[in-house]
Amino acid sequence: MTHHLELTRKSESELPEISKQLLSFAKDTKVWIFNGQLGVGKTTLIKALAQQIGVLENMSSPSFSIINEYTTANNATVYHLDLYRLKNLQEAIDVGIEDYLFSGLYCFIEWPEIIEDILPEKHMALELKIQDFTERTIKASRYE
Amino acid sequence: MSIILAIESSCDETSASVIIQGQVKSNMIAGQSVHEAYGGVVPELASREHQKNIVPVVDQALSKAGITKKDLDAVAFTRGPGLLGALLVGTSFAKGLALGLNIPLIEVNHMQAHILAHFIEAPFPKSPFICLTVSGGHTQLVLVKSHLEMEVIGQTTDDAVGEAFDKTAKLLGLPYPGGPLIDKYAREGDPHAFSFPKVKAPGELNFSFSGIKTAILYFLRDEVKENPNFIKERLPDICASVQHTLINILLEQLVKAAEAYKIDQIGIAGGVSANSSLRSRLHTLGQEKGWDTFIPEFQFCTDNAAMIAITAHFMYQKKLFAPANVSPLPRMKI
Repeated sequence: MTHHLELTRKSESELPEISKQLLSFAKDTKVWIFNGQLGVGKTTLIKALAQQIGVLENMSSPSFSIINEYTTANNATVYHLDLYRLKNLQEAIDVGIEDYLFSGLYCFIEWPEIIEDILPEKHMALELKIQDFTERTIKASRYE
Repeated sequence: MSIILAIESSCDETSASVIIQGQVKSNMIAGQSVHEAYGGVVPELASREHQKNIVPVVDQALSKAGITKKDLDAVAFTRGPGLLGALLVGTSFAKGLALGLNIPLIEVNHMQAHILAHFIEAPFPKSPFICLTVSGGHTQLVLVKSHLEMEVIGQTTDDAVGEAFDKTAKLLGLPYPGGPLIDKYAREGDPHAFSFPKVKAPGELNFSFSGIKTAILYFLRDEVKENPNFIKERLPDICASVQHTLINILLEQLVKAAEAYKIDQIGIAGGVSANSSLRSRLHTLGQEKGWDTFIPEFQFCTDNAAMIAITAHFMYQKKLFAPANVSPLPRMKI
């Protein structure tokens, strides 16, 4: 079954509120994929989500490192993945993608196209689109 | 006499180096030297590739230095930061070798090593100095009090500067990694042709590059709407202007840091220090400000084991050895 939620982000200042809504819509879904063009704000949204979950550290982009791992105030682990530099599913498997996807821990994944075939059935898919200078639409689908 | 073998496998490159009494005797990097000797393409990235490369790379580093593994006094490896799978290969190999030879093991921080690459070849900066480390994954301002005593005084709050270069290149339709291509096209362009808003990062000496990426995206979208050939016609000017903006941000923070800490010894390190405009502008700025500026040779700026070796050399002198049960730290900090 799939559930949908559509939100509009007028400016970055709304991100804490939007993150709360998304997390409550996601229920206990831990694997989240983020689609949308370069510069649309995927990393920025993920930072807001992670802060909402309790990550206190400075978060930087994982585009180069591919996987960044964070710990929340409650000692939970959050993975931020960016598959931008990987060419195909085999490369993703070589960096151990399955270990993260099936860890039962939060995984926020940017540029997920190459792993769509191996995603767990239960996941959140977010589609970000630019409307205006700072306005974005966020379409969330929860698959279960 | 101390003879140390150092191994670097934090990300794409598998590299091994031998250092004898502080002198780097070999610095082998898979994908280049091993590629020639062993034939075939050496794809990057996967830890499986590190596993394939590590033995030949170490063999070459030892033989180029004219030693065998029995001559070694210690084995050093990159403990982090980096990709867990990639770090595991170097860590496990180094642990096994040190255990087998019954010699000390030395764990090295990759970011500290980028900075200590300044001590591979003279002239050396005098401590305390400030180092701006710029690469695809990192942008940091570090106050170096002594070889092994460092403090991060500024860093990126989102994208690394190398990533800003690569992603701009992507927006322009250039292949990955696009940073060096932007540098190349920028040489024929006007750095003042276009201007982009600078985004202030929280924290006096921090950096932010994510907002510029979005600003460039809007700029290109609007211009291409007016003229579909805009990118093709103005590529050198776009590259020069973007590069100018990014380097301005780096140098402004560097000046602030130098003034705040009253330091005139300034180094840059990391892969982006290969950028020709950053090098020349640092040089000019240094003359203006009365700084002594330092940039390690290019082969010691990108990821390499020689920088791990020089760091291990300093750690060996202080007997800073790792326990046999050490494991990688993907988010290791300075």
